[in-house]
Amino acid sequence: MIAGFTRFAAEEVGPPVHIAPGELFEFMGFTVTNSMLFAWLGSTILIILLAYVARRMTLRPKRGITQIVEIGTEFVTSVLEGSMGSRAKAIQYAPYFVTIFFFIAFSNIIGLLPGVGEALTYEGQPVFRAFTADLNGTLAAAVVSMAMIQYFAIKESGFIKHLRHYFAGKLWNPLTYVVGFYEVLNELIRVFSLALRLFLNVAIGEIIIAVFSYLGKFAAPLTAFPFLFLELGVALLQAYIFVMLSVTYLSLAISHGHDEDEALESTAEQMKANAV
Amino acid sequence: MFHVLAELTGNVEIVGKGIMLGAGMIGPGIGVGLIGNAFMNAVGRNPEAAKFLGQILVFVAIVELMALLVFASLFII
Repeated sequence: MIAGFTRFAAEEVGPPVHIAPGELFEFMGFTVTNSMLFAWLGSTILIILLAYVARRMTLRPKRGITQIVEIGTEFVTSVLEGSMGSRAKAIQYAPYFVTIFFFIAFSNIIGLLPGVGEALTYEGQPVFRAFTADLNGTLAAAVVSMAMIQYFAIKESGFIKHLRHYFAGKLWNPLTYVVGFYEVLNELIRVFSLALRLFLNVAIGEIIIAVFSYLGKFAAPLTAFPFLFLELGVALLQAYIFVMLSVTYLSLAISHGHDEDEALESTAEQMKANAV
Repeated sequence: MFHVLAELTGNVEIVGKGIMLGAGMIGPGIGVGLIGNAFMNAVGRNPEAAKFLGQILVFVAIVELMALLVFASLFII
Protein backbone atom coordinates (compact mmCIF):
# COMPACT_ATOMS: atom_id res chain seq x y z
CA MET A 1 0.00 0.00 0.00
CA ILE A 2 2.84 2.35 0.88
CA ALA A 3 4.40 1.59 -2.47
CA GLY A 4 1.14 2.59 -4.11
CA PHE A 5 1.04 5.89 -2.24
CA THR A 6 4.62 6.75 -3.01
CA ARG A 7 4.12 5.93 -6.66
CA PHE A 8 1.09 8.20 -6.75
CA ALA A 9 3.04 11.00 -5.08
CA ALA A 10 5.99 10.59 -7.43
CA GLU A 11 3.94 10.70 -10.60
CA GLU A 12 3.88 13.94 -12.52
CA VAL A 13 0.53 15.24 -11.33
CA GLY A 14 -0.33 18.78 -10.45
CA PRO A 15 -0.41 22.13 -12.21
CA PRO A 16 2.57 23.41 -14.22
CA VAL A 17 4.71 25.39 -11.76
CA HIS A 18 7.56 27.71 -12.71
CA ILE A 19 10.03 29.09 -10.18
CA ALA A 20 12.39 30.55 -12.76
CA PRO A 21 11.30 32.99 -15.49
CA GLY A 22 10.96 31.66 -19.03
CA GLU A 23 13.22 32.87 -21.82
CA LEU A 24 11.17 34.29 -24.67
CA PHE A 25 13.58 35.59 -27.32
CA GLU A 26 17.00 37.16 -27.80
CA PHE A 27 17.43 40.83 -28.60
CA MET A 28 20.88 42.23 -29.46
CA GLY A 29 22.56 39.38 -27.58
CA PHE A 30 20.45 39.85 -24.43
CA THR A 31 17.93 37.23 -23.43
CA VAL A 32 14.52 38.75 -22.82
CA THR A 33 12.48 36.82 -20.24
CA ASN A 34 8.74 36.98 -19.72
CA SER A 35 9.09 38.80 -16.39
CA MET A 36 11.27 41.49 -18.02
CA LEU A 37 8.67 41.99 -20.72
CA PHE A 38 5.93 42.33 -18.13
CA ALA A 39 8.02 44.70 -16.02
CA TRP A 40 8.56 46.99 -19.02
CA LEU A 41 4.85 46.91 -19.78
CA GLY A 42 3.92 47.52 -16.14
CA SER A 43 6.39 50.36 -15.59
CA THR A 44 5.28 52.07 -18.81
CA ILE A 45 1.66 51.94 -17.68
CA LEU A 46 2.65 53.11 -14.19
CA ILE A 47 4.69 56.06 -15.51
CA ILE A 48 1.83 57.17 -17.75
CA LEU A 49 -0.67 56.76 -14.90
CA LEU A 50 1.42 58.69 -12.37
CA ALA A 51 2.25 61.44 -14.86
CA TYR A 52 -1.47 61.81 -15.57
CA VAL A 53 -2.26 61.94 -11.86
CA ALA A 54 0.52 64.47 -11.21
CA ARG A 55 -1.01 66.80 -13.82
CA ARG A 56 -4.44 66.49 -12.25
CA MET A 57 -3.19 67.20 -8.72
CA THR A 58 -5.07 70.11 -7.16
CA LEU A 59 -5.41 71.60 -3.71
CA ARG A 60 -8.97 70.38 -3.40
CA PRO A 61 -8.89 66.56 -3.45
CA LYS A 62 -10.47 64.88 -6.46
CA ARG A 63 -12.18 61.52 -6.53
CA GLY A 64 -11.03 58.44 -8.41
CA ILE A 65 -7.49 57.38 -9.23
CA THR A 66 -6.01 60.67 -8.01
CA GLN A 67 -7.34 60.03 -4.54
CA ILE A 68 -5.85 56.51 -4.41
CA VAL A 69 -2.41 57.79 -5.41
CA GLU A 70 -2.69 60.59 -2.85
CA ILE A 71 -3.57 58.11 -0.11
CA GLY A 72 -0.55 55.95 -1.01
CA THR A 73 1.81 58.92 -1.09
CA GLU A 74 0.55 60.25 2.23
CA PHE A 75 0.80 56.77 3.75
CA VAL A 76 4.44 56.29 2.76
CA THR A 77 5.26 59.83 3.89
CA SER A 78 3.71 59.16 7.29
CA VAL A 79 5.71 55.92 7.60
CA LEU A 80 8.85 57.94 6.84
CA GLU A 81 7.83 60.62 9.32
CA GLY A 82 7.30 58.05 12.05
CA SER A 83 10.73 56.56 11.42
CA MET A 84 12.74 59.76 10.82
CA GLY A 85 11.06 61.88 13.45
CA SER A 86 10.51 65.00 11.37
CA ARG A 87 8.20 65.99 8.53
CA ALA A 88 10.94 67.84 6.60
CA LYS A 89 13.17 64.76 6.43
CA ALA A 90 10.21 62.61 5.45
CA ILE A 91 9.45 64.87 2.50
CA GLN A 92 13.13 64.94 1.56
CA TYR A 93 13.31 61.15 1.21
CA ALA A 94 9.71 60.56 0.10
CA PRO A 95 10.23 60.56 -3.73
CA TYR A 96 12.30 57.37 -3.86
CA PHE A 97 10.24 55.42 -1.33
CA VAL A 98 6.91 56.44 -2.83
CA THR A 99 8.19 55.32 -6.24
CA ILE A 100 9.33 51.91 -5.02
CA PHE A 101 6.08 51.45 -3.08
CA PHE A 102 3.91 52.11 -6.11
CA PHE A 103 6.14 50.04 -8.40
CA ILE A 104 6.07 46.95 -6.17
CA ALA A 105 2.37 47.23 -5.34
CA PHE A 106 1.46 47.75 -9.00
CA SER A 107 3.72 44.89 -10.16
CA ASN A 108 2.18 42.56 -7.58
CA ILE A 109 -1.38 43.50 -8.48
CA ILE A 110 -1.05 43.29 -12.25
CA GLY A 111 0.63 39.91 -11.73
CA LEU A 112 -2.72 38.63 -10.44
CA LEU A 113 -4.66 39.65 -13.55
CA PRO A 114 -6.18 36.86 -15.64
CA GLY A 115 -4.02 36.12 -18.67
CA VAL A 116 -0.78 36.43 -16.72
CA GLY A 117 0.85 33.03 -16.38
CA GLU A 118 -0.04 29.85 -18.19
CA ALA A 119 -3.00 31.27 -20.11
CA LEU A 120 -0.93 32.73 -22.96
CA THR A 121 2.11 30.76 -24.08
CA TYR A 122 4.77 31.38 -26.70
CA GLU A 123 7.03 28.43 -27.62
CA GLY A 124 6.03 26.60 -24.45
CA GLN A 125 6.77 29.55 -22.14
CA PRO A 126 4.18 31.85 -20.59
CA VAL A 127 4.25 35.28 -22.27
CA PHE A 128 3.61 37.24 -19.07
CA ARG A 129 4.97 36.64 -15.59
CA ALA A 130 4.70 38.98 -12.61
CA PHE A 131 7.94 40.95 -12.22
CA THR A 132 8.08 40.33 -8.48
CA ALA A 133 7.62 36.56 -8.99
CA ASP A 134 11.15 36.47 -10.44
CA LEU A 135 14.17 36.43 -8.12
CA ASN A 136 16.21 38.49 -10.62
CA GLY A 137 13.63 41.27 -10.45
CA THR A 138 13.31 41.41 -6.68
CA LEU A 139 17.09 41.15 -6.27
CA ALA A 140 17.46 44.14 -8.59
CA ALA A 141 14.86 46.06 -6.56
CA ALA A 142 16.63 45.21 -3.30
CA VAL A 143 20.10 46.12 -4.64
CA VAL A 144 18.81 49.47 -5.93
CA SER A 145 17.07 50.11 -2.61
CA MET A 146 20.14 49.37 -0.50
CA ALA A 147 22.39 51.37 -2.87
CA MET A 148 20.03 54.35 -2.55
CA ILE A 149 20.09 53.97 1.24
CA GLN A 150 23.91 54.04 1.22
CA TYR A 151 23.83 57.09 -1.07
CA PHE A 152 21.36 58.93 1.19
CA ALA A 153 23.39 58.05 4.26
CA ILE A 154 26.70 59.24 2.74
CA LYS A 155 25.01 62.43 1.54
CA GLU A 156 23.58 63.00 5.00
CA SER A 157 26.68 62.44 7.14
CA GLY A 158 29.74 62.35 4.83
CA PHE A 159 31.81 59.35 3.74
CA ILE A 160 34.19 59.13 6.72
CA LYS A 161 31.42 59.59 9.26
CA HIS A 162 29.34 56.97 7.50
CA LEU A 163 32.25 54.50 7.65
CA ARG A 164 32.66 55.29 11.34
CA HIS A 165 29.01 54.33 11.71
CA TYR A 166 30.04 50.74 10.91
CA PHE A 167 33.46 50.82 12.57
CA ALA A 168 32.33 52.59 15.72
CA GLY A 169 34.64 52.67 18.70
CA LYS A 170 38.36 53.12 19.19
CA LEU A 171 40.45 52.48 16.08
CA TRP A 172 43.31 50.66 17.87
CA ASN A 173 40.88 48.06 19.17
CA PRO A 174 40.79 44.95 16.93
CA LEU A 175 37.25 44.25 18.13
CA THR A 176 36.13 47.37 16.25
CA TYR A 177 37.11 45.76 12.96
CA VAL A 178 35.46 42.45 13.83
CA VAL A 179 32.20 44.18 14.72
CA GLY A 180 32.50 46.46 11.68
CA PHE A 181 33.00 43.48 9.38
CA TYR A 182 29.91 41.88 10.87
CA GLU A 183 27.95 45.11 10.33
CA VAL A 184 29.00 45.32 6.67
CA LEU A 185 28.07 41.65 6.21
CA ASN A 186 24.72 42.43 7.80
CA GLU A 187 24.06 45.05 5.10
CA LEU A 188 24.71 42.44 2.39
CA ILE A 189 22.43 39.94 4.10
CA ARG A 190 19.69 42.61 4.18
CA VAL A 191 19.77 42.77 0.37
CA PHE A 192 19.09 39.04 0.10
CA SER A 193 16.47 39.00 2.84
CA LEU A 194 14.56 41.86 1.17
CA ALA A 195 14.75 40.15 -2.22
CA LEU A 196 13.89 36.65 -1.02
CA ARG A 197 10.95 37.79 1.10
CA LEU A 198 9.25 39.61 -1.76
CA PHE A 199 10.02 36.91 -4.34
CA LEU A 200 8.92 33.97 -2.20
CA ASN A 201 5.70 35.63 -1.04
CA VAL A 202 4.60 36.42 -4.59
CA ALA A 203 5.85 33.22 -6.25
CA ILE A 204 4.39 30.93 -3.59
CA GLY A 205 1.12 32.84 -3.76
CA GLU A 206 0.99 32.10 -7.49
CA ILE A 207 1.77 28.43 -6.84
CA ILE A 208 -1.00 28.24 -4.22
CA ILE A 209 -3.51 29.76 -6.65
CA ALA A 210 -2.37 27.31 -9.35
CA VAL A 211 -2.63 24.31 -7.01
CA PHE A 212 -6.11 25.24 -5.79
CA SER A 213 -7.47 25.92 -9.26
CA TYR A 214 -6.02 22.53 -10.30
CA LEU A 215 -7.63 20.74 -7.34
CA GLY A 216 -10.97 22.38 -8.00
CA LYS A 217 -11.28 20.94 -11.55
CA PHE A 218 -14.56 22.34 -12.94
CA ALA A 219 -15.17 24.40 -9.78
CA ALA A 220 -11.79 26.09 -10.14
CA PRO A 221 -13.15 29.69 -9.93
CA LEU A 222 -14.79 28.86 -6.59
CA THR A 223 -11.74 27.22 -5.00
CA ALA A 224 -9.15 29.69 -6.30
CA PHE A 225 -11.18 32.83 -5.55
CA PRO A 226 -10.48 33.10 -1.78
CA PHE A 227 -6.76 32.71 -2.42
CA LEU A 228 -6.89 35.41 -5.06
CA PHE A 229 -8.23 37.80 -2.41
CA LEU A 230 -5.58 36.60 0.04
CA GLU A 231 -2.92 37.36 -2.57
CA LEU A 232 -4.42 40.81 -3.18
CA GLY A 233 -3.86 41.52 0.51
CA VAL A 234 -0.37 40.01 0.39
CA ALA A 235 0.49 42.15 -2.66
CA LEU A 236 -0.17 45.39 -0.78
CA LEU A 237 1.27 44.07 2.50
CA GLN A 238 4.53 43.04 0.86
CA ALA A 239 4.92 46.43 -0.82
CA TYR A 240 4.36 48.04 2.60
CA ILE A 241 6.85 45.71 4.29
CA PHE A 242 9.49 46.31 1.62
CA VAL A 243 9.17 50.07 2.05
CA MET A 244 8.92 49.85 5.85
CA LEU A 245 12.10 47.76 6.11
CA SER A 246 13.96 50.04 3.67
CA VAL A 247 12.92 53.07 5.72
CA THR A 248 14.03 51.34 8.92
CA TYR A 249 17.44 50.55 7.39
CA LEU A 250 17.76 54.16 6.22
CA SER A 251 16.90 55.56 9.63
CA LEU A 252 19.43 53.16 11.19
CA ALA A 253 22.08 54.24 8.68
CA ILE A 254 21.67 57.99 9.19
CA SER A 255 21.32 57.89 12.97
CA HIS A 256 24.47 58.13 15.04
CA GLY A 257 25.51 56.59 18.32
CA HIS A 258 25.80 60.02 19.90
CA ASP A 259 22.14 60.86 19.29
CA GLU A 260 21.07 57.45 20.51
CA ASP A 261 22.98 57.90 23.76
CA GLU A 262 21.37 61.29 24.27
CA ALA A 263 17.92 59.84 23.58
CA LEU A 264 18.58 57.00 26.01
CA GLU A 265 19.79 59.41 28.69
CA SER A 266 16.77 61.67 28.31
CA THR A 267 14.47 58.64 28.50
CA ALA A 268 16.24 57.45 31.65
CA GLU A 269 15.91 60.90 33.20
CA GLN A 270 12.25 60.99 32.31
CA MET A 271 11.73 57.57 33.87
CA LYS A 272 13.49 58.70 37.03
CA ALA A 273 11.31 61.81 37.19
CA ASN A 274 8.21 59.69 36.69
CA ALA A 275 9.29 57.24 39.39
CA VAL A 276 9.86 60.05 41.84
CA MET B 1 9.05 -3.76 8.32
CA PHE B 2 12.37 -4.03 6.54
CA HIS B 3 10.49 -5.01 3.45
CA VAL B 4 8.58 -1.69 3.60
CA LEU B 5 11.76 0.30 4.11
CA ALA B 6 13.35 -1.43 1.17
CA GLU B 7 10.35 -0.49 -0.93
CA LEU B 8 10.69 3.15 0.06
CA THR B 9 14.16 3.50 -1.40
CA GLY B 10 12.76 4.35 -4.81
CA ASN B 11 10.96 7.49 -3.62
CA VAL B 12 12.93 8.67 -0.61
CA GLU B 13 12.82 12.16 -2.09
CA ILE B 14 9.07 12.43 -1.43
CA VAL B 15 9.47 11.34 2.20
CA GLY B 16 12.31 13.79 2.67
CA LYS B 17 10.24 16.62 1.27
CA GLY B 18 7.38 15.77 3.61
CA ILE B 19 9.63 15.67 6.67
CA MET B 20 11.32 18.91 5.61
CA LEU B 21 8.05 20.76 5.12
CA GLY B 22 6.57 19.49 8.39
CA ALA B 23 9.64 20.01 10.55
CA GLY B 24 10.61 23.31 8.96
CA MET B 25 7.25 24.93 9.60
CA ILE B 26 7.40 24.25 13.37
CA GLY B 27 9.80 27.09 14.18
CA PRO B 28 8.12 29.87 12.16
CA GLY B 29 4.74 28.70 13.48
CA ILE B 30 5.90 29.09 17.06
CA GLY B 31 7.52 32.41 16.18
CA VAL B 32 4.43 33.95 14.62
CA GLY B 33 2.37 32.66 17.55
CA LEU B 34 4.70 34.32 20.05
CA ILE B 35 4.51 37.63 18.16
CA GLY B 36 0.71 37.49 18.17
CA ASN B 37 0.71 36.54 21.84
CA ALA B 38 2.93 39.48 22.77
CA PHE B 39 0.85 41.89 20.69
CA MET B 40 -2.46 40.81 22.18
CA ASN B 41 -0.96 40.94 25.67
CA ALA B 42 0.27 44.47 25.03
CA VAL B 43 -3.08 45.58 23.64
CA GLY B 44 -4.87 43.99 26.58
CA ARG B 45 -2.74 45.85 29.08
CA ASN B 46 -2.64 49.11 27.17
CA PRO B 47 -5.18 49.56 24.35
CA GLU B 48 -3.08 52.39 22.86
CA ALA B 49 -0.49 49.76 21.84
CA ALA B 50 -2.82 48.75 18.99
CA LYS B 51 -1.15 51.45 16.86
CA PHE B 52 1.92 49.21 16.53
CA LEU B 53 0.07 46.76 14.26
CA GLY B 54 2.11 47.91 11.26
CA GLN B 55 5.39 47.18 13.00
CA ILE B 56 4.05 43.82 14.17
CA LEU B 57 3.41 42.91 10.53
CA VAL B 58 7.04 43.70 9.72
CA PHE B 59 8.20 41.29 12.41
CA VAL B 60 5.76 38.68 11.15
CA ALA B 61 7.29 39.10 7.70
CA ILE B 62 10.79 38.57 9.11
CA VAL B 63 9.73 35.30 10.76
CA GLU B 64 7.62 34.28 7.79
CA LEU B 65 10.70 34.38 5.55
CA MET B 66 11.97 31.20 7.25
CA ALA B 67 8.74 29.35 6.46
CA LEU B 68 8.86 30.57 2.87
CA LEU B 69 12.46 29.37 2.52
CA VAL B 70 11.33 25.91 3.62
CA PHE B 71 8.52 25.95 1.07
CA ALA B 72 10.84 27.12 -1.71
CA SER B 73 13.35 24.38 -0.89
CA LEU B 74 10.71 21.88 -2.09
CA PHE B 75 11.61 22.85 -5.64
CA ILE B 76 15.37 22.66 -5.09
CA ILE B 77 15.89 19.24 -3.43
